[in-house]
Amino acid sequence: MWDTSQVFFERMSEYSPKLLESLGETAIMMGLAMLAALFIGLPLGTLLFLTAKGKPLENIWLYRIANLFVNIVRSFPFLLLVIAMQPAIRFFYGRATGDPIAASFPMMLIAIVLYARFVEQSLLDLPKDLLETAESMGATTFQLVSRFLFPEARSSLVIGFTTAFVSFLSYSTIMGVVGGGGIGDFAIRYGYQRYETDVMYAAIFLIIVFVEIIQRLALALARKLDKK
Amino acid sequence: MIDFQKVSKYYQERDSKITAISELTLRIEAGESFGIIGESGAGKSTLLRFINALESPDVGQVLVSGIDFQKLSKKELRLERKKITMIFQHANLLENKTVAENIQLPLELYDYPDPLALQQVLDFVSLSDKSQSYPKELSGGEQQRVGIARALISRPQILLADEPTSSLDLTTSQEIVDVLRRAHQEFGMTIVTVSHDLEVIKKLADRAAILEAGKLTDLITIQGKNSTVRHLSYREQALEVLSDVGH
Repeated sequence: MWDTSQVFFERMSEYSPKLLESLGETAIMMGLAMLAALFIGLPLGTLLFLTAKGKPLENIWLYRIANLFVNIVRSFPFLLLVIAMQPAIRFFYGRATGDPIAASFPMMLIAIVLYARFVEQSLLDLPKDLLETAESMGATTFQLVSRFLFPEARSSLVIGFTTAFVSFLSYSTIMGVVGGGGIGDFAIRYGYQRYETDVMYAAIFLIIVFVEIIQRLALALARKLDKK
Repeated sequence: MIDFQKVSKYYQERDSKITAISELTLRIEAGESFGIIGESGAGKSTLLRFINALESPDVGQVLVSGIDFQKLSKKELRLERKKITMIFQHANLLENKTVAENIQLPLELYDYPDPLALQQVLDFVSLSDKSQSYPKELSGGEQQRVGIARALISRPQILLADEPTSSLDLTTSQEIVDVLRRAHQEFGMTIVTVSHDLEVIKKLADRAAILEAGKLTDLITIQGKNSTVRHLSYREQALEVLSDVGH
């Protein structure tokens, strides 16, 4: 038992620089995906809501195009999406694999559509009277979104973002399969290919702790924001 | 002055065309407190929503101070709407905002030339001690008073009240009627109230229109404050309770 523990700690000590490097790569992928979700997914979800039938900016063609885009990307198996995007990433970024930024492009795309759908659903869950109230006060579309919709949906938007975040983390590990680096790459390379399963379990444990901390923080924030 | 000129409104429901308002002509004078009464589905709320263009007539026109809102651009319409405020059946407050934030919301959207002070409207609706409360901490009557305060703070020319008491009990309903009456006396705006409750209209309005199936059947000046309700048709009840004066 003592020997096993000693081997484990020696191995972890040996791999810790590589583990930290992998965590850093995951952080880059996650950070870019979250930025894309926030700055593109949030407006896209809002657009889906506003252009739907009976909504203030009703535009059936714009809605259909945005909706189709979201559906296509979401229904793509992620690994196939990553492979399918390789030529485009190579074209725009110069290389398609081998560093976390190249690996972030498919992550960003999935983050955008995933969060857009969460945002749309959060806004659809708001009382219908809210739109009429804003309209009766003469609110512009920007004021409708910034003064009425987002403030009223804020806790739901935070919870949706957290749920999406956990999914991004899961997607980020798949990037390891195609040489994108990150914690998934670490687990596969050392835990799976070298049969050092204790290293793999250590990586999984870290991910679980990380997800748990994020979820608890987000839930606390959502509760604080929710006055309903 | 609000002028409805031969307005009609239709809804398509599956294969049939439903008439919500039928060739209705009516004038509401500036500064009066006017009631629109009728049973459910009579077209009362549709008529009210014509005034601030939340709905538009299919035929005819509605002129508010001589302006046909249907002919305005979106921007012009938004600016005209500044002069009209509305209170709703369920108050429609923003639940993540405090009472003070809800009341001041119109002032966040636009600059108004002569708005009331927050404390003045809070005092007017007797909610000074609740300014930092959230809607879920308030009773139904208090929520409606916040809705009234929000509608008053910008000093509107016209205040529209859509079934303001129908989700409230009798005592609370009387409080709301009292606040609206005082608002009319103190600020002098035109108030148009929709209600199926004859007692509310009797206490609040000077004149009223009775609607039946989208048609204006009677236009009456309200008298007879102490009359009682007998088992008659809605229209007969209305005529008996409110008055018997001129069409």
